[in-house]
Amino acid sequence: MFSLYKKELQGYFFSPIAYVFIGLVMLIFSGFFVWWIFTATSSQVEFQFSYFFYYNILLTTILLIPILTMRAFAEERKNGTEVLLLASPLSVSKIVLAKFLAVATVLVIAMIVSFIYPVVASIYGYVVIPNLIASYVGYLLYGLAYIALGLMVSSFVATPGLAMLLSVAASLVLFFMELMLGSSFLASLPVFSDVLYWFSNQAKFENFTQGFCQLSDLVSYVTEIIVFLLWTIISIEKRRFSHS
Amino acid sequence: MVEIKNLTKYYGRKAAVKNISFNIEDNEILGFLGPNGAGKSTTLNIICGVIPSTSGTVTINGYDIENDPVKAKKCIGFLPEIPPVYTDMKVGEYLMFVAGLRGVPGAKRRSHVERVMNRMNISDVSKRLIGNLSKGYRQRVGFAQALIGDPKIIILDEPTVGLDPSQLIEVRNLILELKRDHSVILSSHILSEISAVCDRVVIINHGEIQAIDTIANLEDSSQSNIVLKLKVQGSSREVAKTAMHVDGVVRVSNITFVKTGVYTYDVEVKDKNVRNSLLSALLYNKLDVLEVSEERKSLEQIFVNLVNQPEGKRKSLKELVDEMENEADQQAEDASSGAETEAADENKEV
Repeated sequence: MFSLYKKELQGYFFSPIAYVFIGLVMLIFSGFFVWWIFTATSSQVEFQFSYFFYYNILLTTILLIPILTMRAFAEERKNGTEVLLLASPLSVSKIVLAKFLAVATVLVIAMIVSFIYPVVASIYGYVVIPNLIASYVGYLLYGLAYIALGLMVSSFVATPGLAMLLSVAASLVLFFMELMLGSSFLASLPVFSDVLYWFSNQAKFENFTQGFCQLSDLVSYVTEIIVFLLWTIISIEKRRFSHS
Repeated sequence: MVEIKNLTKYYGRKAAVKNISFNIEDNEILGFLGPNGAGKSTTLNIICGVIPSTSGTVTINGYDIENDPVKAKKCIGFLPEIPPVYTDMKVGEYLMFVAGLRGVPGAKRRSHVERVMNRMNISDVSKRLIGNLSKGYRQRVGFAQALIGDPKIIILDEPTVGLDPSQLIEVRNLILELKRDHSVILSSHILSEISAVCDRVVIINHGEIQAIDTIANLEDSSQSNIVLKLKVQGSSREVAKTAMHVDGVVRVSNITFVKTGVYTYDVEVKDKNVRNSLLSALLYNKLDVLEVSEERKSLEQIFVNLVNQPEGKRKSLKELVDEMENEADQQAEDASSGAETEAADENKEV
């Protein structure tokens, strides 16, 4: 399993994909960071990364994570290399896990690089450390959930481009679900809007940016990741049964 | 050793493979022959554990592919129809990855990969991207991939597609060399390829086994009589008459005109020893024999007839061979009556 993980990771870093991803994440971070400073009203700003994180994480996950995940299974299928993995002594769940961990590693590297902003901020201002840590934990979990979603979509289709479009669409649906909750129509259906609220990723993330690491939020993110990964495994196993 | 028992695979309602059973012994090359869409790839994919079967078992060196997939898959090297190579990886890198995938211990990995690359003659391209290689080289990389981890059983799905003639011979020699310490299953829809290297052949069509036998037996069963092709100068009538008087000649057929006084004949004889007495009889009658050759009723024809049968009315190999012979009889009669009238015409001219 480690060799597949290593190969996947090399695949990201020997091609421009990982650099494009990390570069774009940094670009978005920088943009918001600069905008934050420009709109500062006093020289002694309290950097509460909550608001800062809230906006750019949405952009990174929804638009950028599909860049990483689109090729994972779709390209293997397109090039016929899936057979190599299936004929190897690795089980399907290990294959999925190795790919998931490889993408997760790229995300973690992007997060480590983005640490430069809190460091700079702490020199010139004041950083609320607990908020920062909680925000990063939330950011990681939120990202992992969308990586799992992207992998799942990639295992459904045979072309990376289509996988990317569908992942973006699926992520947007999850994203807009929460905005819809604010509408008066959904507010008039309390049970329905409650159920939607339970599945909202942003609401949980907001708790993290406030500095709360709640067990319920952790469990719900982890469950979401597990559900998407299991679905990926099932979709690959199903294709083994029905398709040559 | 691989044991395949009552293997059946349905894609939805369509049966791709129906109740197939056969064995592969150690150090044997088994040819898997069938037209496109006969169920060859499906069967091979099931043996390798890429797709599960609907029913039936595949046992590899005693490990069931469904119940003990990790151990069973370690015994198999598989080269699918499309070489499963990553075009954005370098050859050496790719083989190192496959070695890791197959569980070759880290310390031995590099030397093992180098040995395989030397064997496949790809050491000189080990630092090149697979995407930039020619088709022949890519096929060789795919081949090398199947040899990684020294599996006991090597399964090759149409390994010679897209190779040029010299590479073809190379691959053939390689397969023969593999026989020393591996069992090989080789699928193809090209018969000459199979008959060149295989010990035994499984002929499959519409998902069912049509014949399992050695090449020699298949040829024997299709060849109760030998056909000698003669080119003789002299009256065709006289030649036919003389030939028919020789003991062991079954019939003379397919008399064709070459130029004045020269005809070719297909003479069917019971065994090879008849040839000499036939020739001496012709020479004794002052008929000049210009050419003699032996024609084997080709395995190709048997194969084509086997696989082109309409569904529902399929016959066994034996019935088919008999039928082909009957047809040949019929043709012979037509031809000889035609030749006689022709010969009569010629006599008039003289």
